[in-house]
Parts: sequence; C-alpha cells; structure tokens
Amino acid sequence: MAISALKNSALEAIQKAQNLAELDVAYKAFLGKKGELTLILRSLANLSEAERKTQGKEANELRNFLVERFAQRKQEIQIGEIGKREATEHVDVTAPGKRLPKGHMHPLTLVQTKAEEIFQAMGFTVAQGPEIETEWYNFDALNIPANHPARDMWDTFWLKPKNAGYLLRTHTSPVQIRYMESHNPPLRIIVPGRIFRYEATDASHEFNFYQLEGLMVGKEVSVANFKAIIEEFYHQFFGKPVAIRLRPSYFPFTEPSFEVDMRWGKGKWLEMMGAGIVHPNVFRAVGYIPAEWRGFAFGMGLDRLAMMKYQIPDIRLLYSGDLRFLQQF
Amino acid sequence: MLFSYNWLQEYIKGKLPAPAKLAELLNMHTFEVEGMQKKGRDTIFDIAVLPNRAHDCLSHTGMAREIAAVAKLKLQLPKTKQIKVQKGRLTPLKVRIQSTELVPRYTALLIEGVTIGKSPKWIAQHLEAVGVNSINNIVDLTNFIMLETGQPLHAFDYEQIEGHTMNVREAKEGEKLETLDNQVFSLPKGALVIEDAKHLVDLAGIKGGKVSAISSNTRNIILQAANFNATTIYRTKSQLKYTTQAADIYAHQIDPNLAMEALERAYALCTELGIGGKIVQVVDLYPKSASWRTKRITLDMQFASSLLGIPLSQKEAKRILESLDCQVALAKNRLQVTCPTRRLDLTMQEDLVEEIGRIVGYETIPAAFPIAPIAPPSKNNELLWLSKIRSAFKGLGFTEVYNHSFIGDKDFSPFAYSATDKAKLVEVENPLSSEFSHLRDSLLENLLKNVRDNQKKTETIRIFEAGNTFRQRKGKFAETNMLGALMYNGSFYEIKGVCDFILNSLGISSAWYDEYQATSKESRAEIWHKGKSAEIKVDGEEIGFLGEISSRVNAALKISKPVGALNLNLQKLILLASEEISYRAPSRFPASTRDIAILVPLQAKVSEAMNVLTGAGGPMVRDIDLFDMYEGEHLAQGKKNLAFHIIYESADRTLTSKEVDTLHNQIIKAVEENPEWEVRK
Repeated sequence: MAISALKNSALEAIQKAQNLAELDVAYKAFLGKKGELTLILRSLANLSEAERKTQGKEANELRNFLVERFAQRKQEIQIGEIGKREATEHVDVTAPGKRLPKGHMHPLTLVQTKAEEIFQAMGFTVAQGPEIETEWYNFDALNIPANHPARDMWDTFWLKPKNAGYLLRTHTSPVQIRYMESHNPPLRIIVPGRIFRYEATDASHEFNFYQLEGLMVGKEVSVANFKAIIEEFYHQFFGKPVAIRLRPSYFPFTEPSFEVDMRWGKGKWLEMMGAGIVHPNVFRAVGYIPAEWRGFAFGMGLDRLAMMKYQIPDIRLLYSGDLRFLQQF
Repeated sequence: MLFSYNWLQEYIKGKLPAPAKLAELLNMHTFEVEGMQKKGRDTIFDIAVLPNRAHDCLSHTGMAREIAAVAKLKLQLPKTKQIKVQKGRLTPLKVRIQSTELVPRYTALLIEGVTIGKSPKWIAQHLEAVGVNSINNIVDLTNFIMLETGQPLHAFDYEQIEGHTMNVREAKEGEKLETLDNQVFSLPKGALVIEDAKHLVDLAGIKGGKVSAISSNTRNIILQAANFNATTIYRTKSQLKYTTQAADIYAHQIDPNLAMEALERAYALCTELGIGGKIVQVVDLYPKSASWRTKRITLDMQFASSLLGIPLSQKEAKRILESLDCQVALAKNRLQVTCPTRRLDLTMQEDLVEEIGRIVGYETIPAAFPIAPIAPPSKNNELLWLSKIRSAFKGLGFTEVYNHSFIGDKDFSPFAYSATDKAKLVEVENPLSSEFSHLRDSLLENLLKNVRDNQKKTETIRIFEAGNTFRQRKGKFAETNMLGALMYNGSFYEIKGVCDFILNSLGISSAWYDEYQATSKESRAEIWHKGKSAEIKVDGEEIGFLGEISSRVNAALKISKPVGALNLNLQKLILLASEEISYRAPSRFPASTRDIAILVPLQAKVSEAMNVLTGAGGPMVRDIDLFDMYEGEHLAQGKKNLAFHIIYESADRTLTSKEVDTLHNQIIKAVEENPEWEVRK
C-alpha cells in the first residue's frame, strides 16, 4: 500500500476508535510489532539506497505523525470517559457537610481577651493576684475599716477559721494594692479575674464571677481622662461609639466616686461599672505620697459584658458547663 | 429608704419639680432613685442613700436639703420650740454613761402627765405614706421625728424605770434582754444597753426593751434623743443579725448636735399630737470637750479643676458649696470652706471636689485623653501562654468550661475523698449551701460532673478548664493555677496525644511519662485508673498527671464510657514554655522507609523498643514512628506486636537500597539480641 493510502486508513482507524481498547487494536494494526507501517519500515532495508532515502523519510515522518495522533486520540478518549463517569456520580448538595471536630473558647475568655487587647493598646499592663485574700488587702488597705457599715457593700465568703482573716476576694481591687506595693508610679494596669460574693444566684447574680479592674496613676490624672479611656474602651469593644454617663456614687477607696452607665439600644441606660479618683488613704496604704500622685480606678463586670455582647439572658449559663450553650461561641 | 414627694415638698419653698424630673435630678446629682410609685396624690420614691451620706440623708429634711441644692430651690425647715422646763412632782431621772466615746451625747426630756391616744390624721398619713404604721401619738412622734430629722428617738415609760436611774453601759457576754417585739436576745460582750436599778431596759440605739415600753396606762415618759458610738452599734447589729432603722442610722454615725434639735422639734409637736404634759427635766450629757465643731477645709481651685478636668470659677464653686450649707470665704486662688457638722463626710479637699463635680454635673466634663508616656505595657507571660494553650485545645476540638470554685458534701463520696483528703481542703466559714462548702482542690471533679451532665445530650465530650485550685496545711493556704481536660470515650493513648500536642505547642520537648510510683501531686490518686495513668515529668519534677479515670468514679457518677483525663500545673508549665524554634533544613535527598514488626512480651515498653531502634540505627535514621500496637487474637499468649516505620535519610546523598538494607539489618540484629523479642519477617 502506498504511504499516503496507509496514512488515510490509519487516520480513519484512529477516528473510529471509541475507547482505549479499540484504539489499542488500531495502534497494533499500524504501529505494533506486526503493524502495517512497522512492516514497511522493516522492509526498507531491502530497498536501494535512493529508494530507501525517499521512502524511508516518508515512512518515518508518517510514523512520528501517527504516534502523535494516537496520543492525542488517547487523551480525547480518556477525557471523554472521565466526563461520562462523572456524569453518573452525584452528591446531594443540600446534605450537611461532614462534621469536623471544632473547639470553642468560653465566652468569658473571649470577652476578657478582647478587653485585654484594647487596654494593652492604650498602655495598660495586665496584672493578676490571688483569689484567697487577706482582710487587709481586700478591705483595710482599700480604706474599708473593720466594723464599718461600708463593709456591708461586699457580701463576703470567709474561710475557716474566721479569726485568721482570710476570705475569697470580693473584688479585684486588692490587686491594685499588691501592684502598687511593688511598682513605682506612674502606672497603668488592668486586672481581670474571678471574684466571689456571698449572694443567692438568679438570672443576674452568681456567687463567683469576673471583674476587670483598672488603675491609672500619674501626676495629673483627671475625671476627664477617665471618661476618655472608658469611652474609647466601649467604642472598641462594641465596635461603635457608645454614650456613657457618670453618676455620683460612693466607694471607700475612691473620692469622688461614680457609677458609669452606658446607653444601650433605644435610650436605656445600663449600669456598667463603678469608678472614681483614688482615695488618698489608698495611696497612703501603699506608701505613695498622696500630694504627689493622683489616679483613677474602675471595676467592671465581665459577665455583664459577655451577656450584652452575646445576648445571654442568664448569668448561670456561663458556669453551667452545658455544651449546648458553650459550643455556640 | 422610702421618701414621700408631698412630705419633701413641705420643706421646700416654691414648687418641687415633677416626680419624674425630680428622680432624674437626684439620679444625676445625688443618689440613685431605685423605685418610684404613685400612691394617691403622692409619689413614693425608693432612694438608695449612699453609705457616706447616711448620717445626713436618711431623713426627709436631709433629702430636702439635697433637692434644694440640685434643683436650685430654697429650703424651709420645720418649726422647733425652745424647751421650757416647768416644775413637776416627779423625781428627777439620774442618767450615767460609761464613757463619752460610747455615748458622745445623751439628751432626754422627762414629760409629766402625757395623754396617750390616737395621732391626728396628718401624722398617720405621713407615716403610712412611707410604710410605717400609726400606733399611738407617742410612738408616732418618735417615728415621725426620725423620718423627718434623721435623729432616732425613743420613749420610755418613766414608771417602769426602777430607781429613776439609767445607766448606759456595755453589756457583759450573755446578758439577756427582751425587746419590744418580744425577742429575747443573749447579748454579745460590748453591746450597748441601758440598765435601771434592777434590770436592762433598752438595747441602746437598736430597740427598746419590753419592760419599759409605752402602754395605754403610761402617764409620764422619758423621750430620749441620744447619740451612740457607730462602731458599737454596727458591731452589735451584725453580731445579733438584727437591725432596725434606728440602728442603721446610728451605725453610720450622726451629728450629736442633731439630738437637741430633734427634741425641740418634738416639743413643738407635742401639743399638735395631743400628747400634752409638761417638761419637768431636760437631760443633756454633752461635755464641751467632746462637742462637735464645724470643720474648715481650704480648697485649692487649681487642684479642684485639674482633678475634674474642667475650668472652675471661684464664684461657681462658692455658690455650689453655699447651696450645701457650707460657709465660704474667698482667698487668692483658694476657698476657705466651713462645713456644717452634720456633713461628717466632708473632711478633705477631694470631698469638696466631689460636691462641686456632682452638683455641676459629671455630664459637663468632656472626655480628654491623659498625657502619659507611650512606653508599651509589660508583657504578661502567664496570660500569653494561657492563650496559646487555649488555642491549642480549641484546635483539638475541646470546649472551654468555667466551673464554680467550690465543691461540697455531695462530692466526697463519688470522688472518694478520705478524711485526710478532706483535712487538706479549704473550708468556707459561711457557705451558701452544703453543696459549695469547700474550695476545689482540683479541676477534675467539677469537669467530671460536666461529663456526667452532658453525656445524655451529646456523644463527643472534650472539655478543658483553666483555673485556681486550693489546699491548706496547718492554716496556710496554697493556691495553684491548674489546667484540666477530659475526653469522654477517650483512652490513655488519646489523652496522651492531647498532652503531647499541648506540650509541643508550648515548646516543651523534654517531658516524659513515668508510671513508677504514679502518685499525683495535684489531684488525688483515688480518681485515677491504677494501670492506665502516668506522671508527666520534666527534669525530674512532676508537672502533671494523665490517664483514664477510675471506673469506680465513673460508676459512682454513672458515666458510661471511659474518660481520658489530663491535669497540668499551669504555673510550672508556663515556666517551662519556650518560644524558641530553630529551623532545620530538610534533606534535599530522598528518604527511604522500612518497616519492622517486633513481637514482645506484654509488659515491654514502646520506649524500650524505641531506644534499641534509635541506638542501633545511627545518624541515618531520621525518624521512627510506631504505627501499630496490637495484642490479642492471632498472637501468642502474653505477647504484643509493635510495628514501626523507620525513615532513613542522609543530608548529603541519596542512600542506595543496599545501604538502607544494611542499616535495617543492623537494627534487626540489635532487636533480636533480646531473647524475648522476635522480629516478625
């Protein structure tokens, strides 16, 4: 057969092959050990040199051409087969994805971390202290003398034996004292931590909960400064400007003292924290000279913040260990 | 305290702001109005008088003074009457006080020939408006004066006072006294009492004694307006867990000068209330040396305005302080302020700044950032690492839990607390309930209760908690920051994997696990499965404990599947944590892997096999990985199969197959040196 005829019949066979097996048959028929083209190539040896040169060139070119076409066709068939197979496979796109194990941090951890980040960015160092405290650090040093009605503001868990004067801290304020005892002013700290109150529980009360204390001591610290820091904190925490207001209050360790309210939703004011200018007696207790230093201090409930941020209606959920609750965060 | 709007109006010239407006003014400038209720034509406010103002604001005139200042109104105080003593037939009363410290002032009127009867309607209305029942004209008078002026009064039946003597003294421990409301108290040492010639007649400052009570037959009365030591009254009412409005007022200390004013006011009302009678004696024990005088405070205007952060004029400050009944003299950049004696809370400049600040209104203070060094805050390593640990647990699918810091009666049996264990617990003096009587000495107990409570709701329970635990020894308290984690349906190996992951994320590579003398320091041995638990050690020191929870505990809590538990000492962990990671370039040449399966006795340790493999392999062994551990069917009794991948690699060339075989054969030979071990081929 002439080379050109061979070419046509080979191309036809390639085109006709509908699957890899058929293509393989065609391949063998032309390019296999006994394939037509192989035989021609092999027979070249018997030709004269001149014929060999022209026919050989032609036959070799055809061989290379066919090898490439077979490869092309093979790829076409393969792609077609994948397409056919995939067309028969399906998933239900509305079925749920496979559940991978997911961990969750406690909402109080989330809130505390966020608060720490905001205050740290404003130069406040995070300090901590023990949960078992002495009467001195929890009360006396904070200008709350024994046998004074002011102590009734803190319902206290005492530890046995009572006369030893140990208690579960009722606020994070003792850490103010501990920190100032070991650090010189000026300073800026926040103290997040667990506190305890002898209090029956209900939707808004727990007997252990979390507070975040703040203290800034400097030469010229003012009520206006406190307002700016706290406004900035709420702004960043809630992600939008928040109106606050100060109302007169009383804490033995601050003078003046105020209650800080935040406007929530449509004009409702919520009590967020107690605060004030550090009382000179507190500076005296830690050995600072009151005439030289001034500071503001505040204490806010972290549980309250978490409850507002995540719309949690009952504080007891936070300490329930109920995974259906905790795994929402 | 409850206040009546109409009653307050009586002491104000001009019209009070409407109730809602008044409440708003008080909220923003003085006290929080916690409740407001319309009652007929009146409005009743429940006002939370702050503890530092209890001496002058637990009364209608006191509150009216505040209102006058904040609403810029004028005050009109009630009529008093100069007391006139008349001659009578009664034997004068002799009053002795133990000390002026205990009784700064004692004043009383002896009134002869009173008429006990019903009070006029207006008195009853005033009292009932604020929740006090009208009883008779004498009792009503004492209540009315207290609610009006803030000075507690008490009326004794003169005829019941034996020997016409009254001795005000501290009680001895255990003395008995029956009060007007038929309660018999066994008194603590130091309680203030009044005694006549025979018996105790009064629990001074707190409640009248039953024996000296006013009755329908009473004809002559002693009307007392005393001033008692605040600390004594506070201590006694706390010890007795009993209080009255008088005791609450006394506990905050009041101005002794108020006593006579109150009696003069009472005298003025006697006729109106139909009490009548004549005053035959005035008792007033108030030594000049002990009498209270006005206080003077110099206020530096610069100090005041820099503390508040607003400009303040002398004129404005003066106006405000005068509206609070202070006398103010101007000096250069200063005010000389004389405070009324009733304002016990005004003792220093800061107190005056507070008065100015709240009357001006804190809302007028603008927000202004402080000027402070921009030095970054110092790092808190503990929190930094804790946050890494939390992220690591979260990555492993654990949920963080916050439990109460308490355990109690119900926990001792299921968690097998021995008497010795209990002695190490910190006990609460005044627990809320027996369920929360002690502080937790480990996080695991409450975490196990979480597992118990959650197992019906979900299959996968992986929880962790970071928190403080508490122990005591000989009255000394130790507080330790711990980390606990539980895996429901988790095995020893799984929880060990968790532990490895956590330690790894803290850069702690030197930990090892010790079963020898597995005794936990931070948790009690009783809760652990004896055969499936281990100490976690670093440099010979225990940093924690892990393993499976004892089935005894599981049974007691009705936990149906094994629980893997991890207990780590956070403090120790954080000291060991390290951020240092140094990069090691991976080899550019391909690695070869050969497997080896070794049949070893059951008690043989993986670590022993690993040691042999590592030792024999030399530097070309990059990694050895246990991929299977099997005991049971198809294996000889008492044997288990350990299968390892051994990865061979060189940093500077491709190892030939022959080289790897040689190395691997060395390892096999080394393993087989142990007669009990057999390499499965």
